[in-house]
Amino acid sequence: MFDSIIDPTKGPAASAQAGGPTLAARPASLAGLRVGLLLNTKRNAEPFVAEVGRLLADQFGVQVTVARQKPNIVETAPQEMFDDLRTGSDVVVTGVGDCGSCSASAVADALKFEAAGIPAAAIVSDAFIVTADAMASLRGAVGYRYATTPHPVANLTEDGVQARAAQVVPAIVELLLAPALAVSA
Amino acid sequence: MTAPVADDPVAQAKAAIEYCYEQGWTDGLPVIPATQADVDACLATVGRDPGEIIGAQPHLGRSITVAQAAANAVMAGCKAEYFPVVLAAWEAVNTERASRGAWQSTSGPAPLLVVNGPVRDRLGINYSGGVLGPGFRANATIARAIGLMVRNGFGIHPQELEQATQGLPGRWSICIGEDEAASPWEPLSVVGGVAAGTDAVSAMLTRTYEYVDNRSTDSAEAVLHDFADSLARIGAYVGGPHSSGGLVLGPEHAQLLGGAGYSRADVQQWLFEHAVVDRSDMAAAGKGEHAAPDPGDPGLPFAMLPAAADIPVIVAGAANAAMSMVFRPFGWAPWSGRSVAVRYPGS
Repeated sequence: MFDSIIDPTKGPAASAQAGGPTLAARPASLAGLRVGLLLNTKRNAEPFVAEVGRLLADQFGVQVTVARQKPNIVETAPQEMFDDLRTGSDVVVTGVGDCGSCSASAVADALKFEAAGIPAAAIVSDAFIVTADAMASLRGAVGYRYATTPHPVANLTEDGVQARAAQVVPAIVELLLAPALAVSA
Repeated sequence: MTAPVADDPVAQAKAAIEYCYEQGWTDGLPVIPATQADVDACLATVGRDPGEIIGAQPHLGRSITVAQAAANAVMAGCKAEYFPVVLAAWEAVNTERASRGAWQSTSGPAPLLVVNGPVRDRLGINYSGGVLGPGFRANATIARAIGLMVRNGFGIHPQELEQATQGLPGRWSICIGEDEAASPWEPLSVVGGVAAGTDAVSAMLTRTYEYVDNRSTDSAEAVLHDFADSLARIGAYVGGPHSSGGLVLGPEHAQLLGGAGYSRADVQQWLFEHAVVDRSDMAAAGKGEHAAPDPGDPGLPFAMLPAAADIPVIVAGAANAAMSMVFRPFGWAPWSGRSVAVRYPGS
């Protein structure tokens, strides 16, 4: 009945939706692997992710080989930065997604690494689950899993950041070793 | 007796509007369903390739074309002849670096669109009484078109990819003309690089609007002091270049300042120098890390605005009371200060 109404959402084909998700194969163990850290410029993201890296090194025998800070919280990491992490690490941790743009962006970064064969674990605060899931869906990866930490992160003290990092490490380990899509998705 | 939908044009129109709601195409208010004929009428006013991409969100894999813009403008309620201004407004918004990621941001900013040139009178774009309020089709629908383009073109919906914590009233309804005749200064668009007498749109992203009502003095400096007080509000400060402030001056205040010999640049400079707070007040509000004591002079007050040039000054409203509006540009990047000329076929 309404065939003559123009669909205002119809535009050029969306490149990001082309094909299904390509997710990286998981290693049997983290021992001896090189870990790359990709952090954003939000307050506490840098110490949070760095502490996660330190704990992974202490507890699981990994080596943190590359750490890069994204210049822009909205977009995925620039190509050169992405390549540094891709070639210099075996698994990547990215975060902390604790704002409207950077939560979605952290998931987008993680999915880019997955597509390049690098298992990735994004850290997103629990206030932004909806938008992180929306980004995963947009990238054809409905049910893509990431680690969550309680919101907010920005106002944590140094001790608070360390405690939070410790809390999230088991989830990150699990994400890096287990299939990256939720079984129930 | 109620006529069946098939026979009743009003019932049909309502059903078509309801259909648009069901598709998720609206901002909560009814839209005008757009047909190809409507889109073609818009396209005829600009003479541009319907498939031309005029905006993209690469991280979302979305982009928007001129034809999509036209459909959304129609849905917003624009007349076809508004479309050149819609495209210029869209370009002006996208010119602002602050717009990158703004639509997903927790800050939920609203575009402020400022129109200069003869097009204001030709389309009935209000620049006088009630300029920031409702009641004028061109103002209301041009601003709304931008919002529908973000929603439908980029697929950014509230509580999904859009994560505004509270947003603000009028997020997609703030389009004003500048009252060039009442302004003592050159049009904003001239400062923005577009020749006088040329239709142009300037854009900023904004987070709030607060009135300054001062009918009590004929002193330019007293009025400026009043503005500076509102501009220096600590709550608006989010760090570095991210927090500026601007003014929509009512004609009375503008003429008081102009009459006292202040140029627009003088006003900006005065406000930059006087919109300051004590560093201890920043610390008391938990924002001390932004305002560490100046090594040269620990007692030096803290400048709340990043630079004089980052303080937009616009003239609009009725010349019937001495009041103005302080507004807050949002951004992780400074205001570009640039205006965009409206393009017409053959121009």
